[in-house]
This record gives sequence, structure tokens and C-alpha cells, in this order.
Amino acid sequence: MELVSPGLGLIFWMTLAFGMVLLILRKYAWRPILNTIRERELSISQSLRDAQHIQRELAALEEQKEHKMREAEKLRLELLTQARGEADEIIRNARQRASVEVSQIMEDGKRAVEAQRNAVVHEIRDQIAKLSVDMAEKVLEGELKDRDISQKLVNQMLDKVALN
Amino acid sequence: MGFRFLEIFKNKGLSMTRPLLFLVLLLSGVPALAAGGADGEKEGFNAGKVIVEHVLDSYDWHIADIGNASISIPLPVILVYEGRPYFFPSSRFHHGHSAHKGFAIAHEGPRKGRIVKVLDDGHTPDPNASFLADLSMTKNVAAVLLSSFLLCLIFVSVGRKYKREGSKAVPRGLQSFLEPIVLFIRDEVALTAIGEKHYQRFLPYLLTLFFFVFFNNLLGLVPFFPGGANVTGNISVTMVLALFTFFTTQLFSTKGYWKHIFNTPGVPVWLKLPLPLMPIIELIGVFVKPFVLMVRLFANITAGHMIILGFVSLIFVLGGVATAVGYVISPLSLLFMIFMNFIELLVAFIQAYVFTFFSALFFGMAVPEEHH
Repeated sequence: MELVSPGLGLIFWMTLAFGMVLLILRKYAWRPILNTIRERELSISQSLRDAQHIQRELAALEEQKEHKMREAEKLRLELLTQARGEADEIIRNARQRASVEVSQIMEDGKRAVEAQRNAVVHEIRDQIAKLSVDMAEKVLEGELKDRDISQKLVNQMLDKVALN
Repeated sequence: MGFRFLEIFKNKGLSMTRPLLFLVLLLSGVPALAAGGADGEKEGFNAGKVIVEHVLDSYDWHIADIGNASISIPLPVILVYEGRPYFFPSSRFHHGHSAHKGFAIAHEGPRKGRIVKVLDDGHTPDPNASFLADLSMTKNVAAVLLSSFLLCLIFVSVGRKYKREGSKAVPRGLQSFLEPIVLFIRDEVALTAIGEKHYQRFLPYLLTLFFFVFFNNLLGLVPFFPGGANVTGNISVTMVLALFTFFTTQLFSTKGYWKHIFNTPGVPVWLKLPLPLMPIIELIGVFVKPFVLMVRLFANITAGHMIILGFVSLIFVLGGVATAVGYVISPLSLLFMIFMNFIELLVAFIQAYVFTFFSALFFGMAVPEEHH
């Protein structure tokens, strides 16, 4: 019987002790523990959401980056082609200008040579004329003296002129 | 030296006899001496008496007997009789052998083992005694206070740690051991049985209940001093716990709960009128539920203690028949005891869980969610 009949004292003390434990633990243990656990769970789920959000943003950024890269590549190619074209143009122009200049220089040269030749021919002509006059003078003098000698003199004169 | 250990056993020995003590017994060759009996004058080994005495409460906390000296902690006896308080240490009773101020521990009768008012001869219970309020701090009271103190110490310090480190810190040490259990009670017990809407209100009670029962179950398994008291195997203790659950249920009960009792939905009308069969059954159920809680925990823990004590006693009983038999049976008994202790560890958890879970279920019934 003793085993199954409750005792007043134990009931009293047990109620007191358990009630106290309940009150103390509720205030100083369960509240901070449960609150902290809940906070942690919330922060974990929040972090997960954030991580997903960031991942999505990152993917978008990546996409954007790729897009920009492609555009830049295109621009680069365009620029390159354009530059190449421009360079060709410049070279072509330069060549053209160069050839024009060269031909002009040649022309000038030719003209100068021509002028000089003309001058020389003129001089020669003047010389010949002078010589001819001289020769005629001499021949006319010689004819007066010796026919052969005059002949010889004329020949001599012509030899000199032939050099020109 | 075997005599001494036998003494431990014959008197109200170590509070709960458990393998550790048993190992000492085995090593000191007790079975042989048990056969002889101490002094040869004392009566033979009475297993039933020893076992029952071990699972019962007592007025002093017996630790051990060394030789003829008995080591026990006297506990305060607090009595209120005819409006007068009495306060004295339990050692005044000299282990129940003498009376003090007209009170003594009864050796027989309906109040056997409890303090009663006695006549002048010092042992006959006073037939004309009026009501005696016995508020003594018995062994179980001391054990309850001790475990309550330990519980508060552990959980308040863990609570402070949570508060100090905040939600960003990873649980460490004791925290990481207790947190899964707390989460288990929250998610698998409270949330499952009560539901999303109301579970948080009951959580502090359920957690306290679980750890209180679990702690005391475990302390009851410790064979020597601060453990060993059969706290959760005491009907008063389980009754208080069940009453807490009962009153909490009634306190938080909603209209839906009472409607379910007096006008159970989905039940044919002839079960309610003219004879209110269902309401009567449901109303009885209100009281039966906590009663079953009380009995389940008490019976499970007491039975576990008794089985282990039974295996210990087996050695002495058979040793009393023949010394050799005692030797043969002790290793076997030891194996069974070790096995039983593992079972008891499991039971300590399961019973704490069951008590908490059923409490949560009752709370869940008290605050039914509208949608079903």
C-alpha cells in the first residue's frame, strides 16, 4: 500500500520545487534558448534567401558582362576594319602623292636638262657661227695666198667643230 | 569484509543497488558470506523486503554502512499537529527505532513507514490522533530539490550562453548536446501534438517537464549518493506532474474542447440523448488521462528499479541456498543487470518523452484548431 499511496509532504515539496523550476527555467532558460534558436533559424532562412537573390543577381551580372563583352568585340572588329581601311587609304594617297611628286621632279629635271642643252646648242651655234666667220675670214685671206693651204685650214676648222 | 557489504544489503543499503556496487560485491566474495548470513542471528535474506524498501521514500538518506556504523544524512522532519509545528532532524528517530516528541515511524498498519502520533509507550499508534500534516523533507524531497537545483544550474547557464552569444554563434559544449533535445521537443512533440498556432504557449512547460523527468530518471539510475533516489518511481511525484498537466489542460481549454466533450461531433444522437453516454465517457476521460500519465511513469520506473534489484537479490537468495550456486549465478546476474541498465537508460528517455508527448497531446485537445 505504501508504494501507491501518495505522501502529503512529498506532494507539497514536489509542487513547490517543480513550480519554481518551471518559473525559473521559463524566464532564464527557455525564453533565451528558444528565442535564440528562432532568431538563428530566421537568419539562416533569410541568408539562404539572400544567397539565392545574390546568385540570381550574379547570373544577371554575368549575362550583362557577356553581352558587353560581345558588344565590345564587335566594336573592336569594326574599329579594326575601319582603321585598316583608313590606313590603306592613307598609304594609297601617299603613294599617289609620291608618284605625282616623282613625275614632277622628273619633269623638272627633264626641263632643266632641256634648257641646258638648248643653251649649249645655242652656244655651239654661236661658236660655229663665230668660227665660220673666222674660218671664212681665214679662208678668204688664204685664198688669196694658197688654195691648198686654205683647204687645209677649212678641214682643220671642221675637225674642231665636229667635236660638238 | 564481506560482512560489511552484507550489512549494507540487509539494512536499507545504498539507496539504489546498481552494478557499481555489485562489482564491489562480486570482487569481495560476497556470495559465500551471504550464505552464512551476518552474525548468524539475523533472519535470512528477504529479497521482497529489500527491494520494496529500496524503491520507497524514507526519512533519512542512507548512504552506506561501514561495519556497525551507518552513514546517513538526517533530513528535516516537519510536522504540523493540532496547529502546532514540529521541526527536528530525522536522526531523532534513530532509523525508526525510537519516538520523538510523541511521534514515531509506524512499522505496520495502513500508515506503515510514515510518521504517526504514538502513545506514551513510544510505538503504538494513537487511535484518537487527529490529522497529522507531515511536510518532512524526505529522501525523495531532497533528491527533487537537488535535481531541481541541478536543472536550474545547467539550463540557466546554457540560457545565459545563448543570450550572450546571440543567434550567430555555433552551439558548443553542453549547448550542442541539449539543443537537439530542445529542438526534438519543440518540433516532434509540441508542434506535432499541439499545432502551429498554440504550441509556443506550452513549450516552456513541456521542456521543463521533459528535462525534469529525464533528469530524475537518470539520477535514479546512479547507484550511489546524490543519485539513487527513486524519484520518478514515486507515486506522489508522478501525481504532481500529472496534476500540473491536468490543470494546465483545463486552464488553457477552449470552447471547442468542452464542446468536444459534451457534444462530441460525428457521434450518433442516441449516444448523447436521452442517456448522455458519450459525455459521461468523455468526462471520465478528462480525469483518466492524467491518472494514466501518473501510473505509467510510476510503474515503469519502479518496475525497472525492481528488476535490477531483483537480479542483485538473486545472488543473495541463491547464495543462501548454496555458496557455489551464488558464485555461479553472480556473473549471469551481472550480465542481466548490465543489460537491464542499458534498457533503463532507454526507458529513462522513452518515459520522459512519452509523458511529455501525452501532455502535449492533451494540450492539443484543449486548444483544437478550428479546421477539423
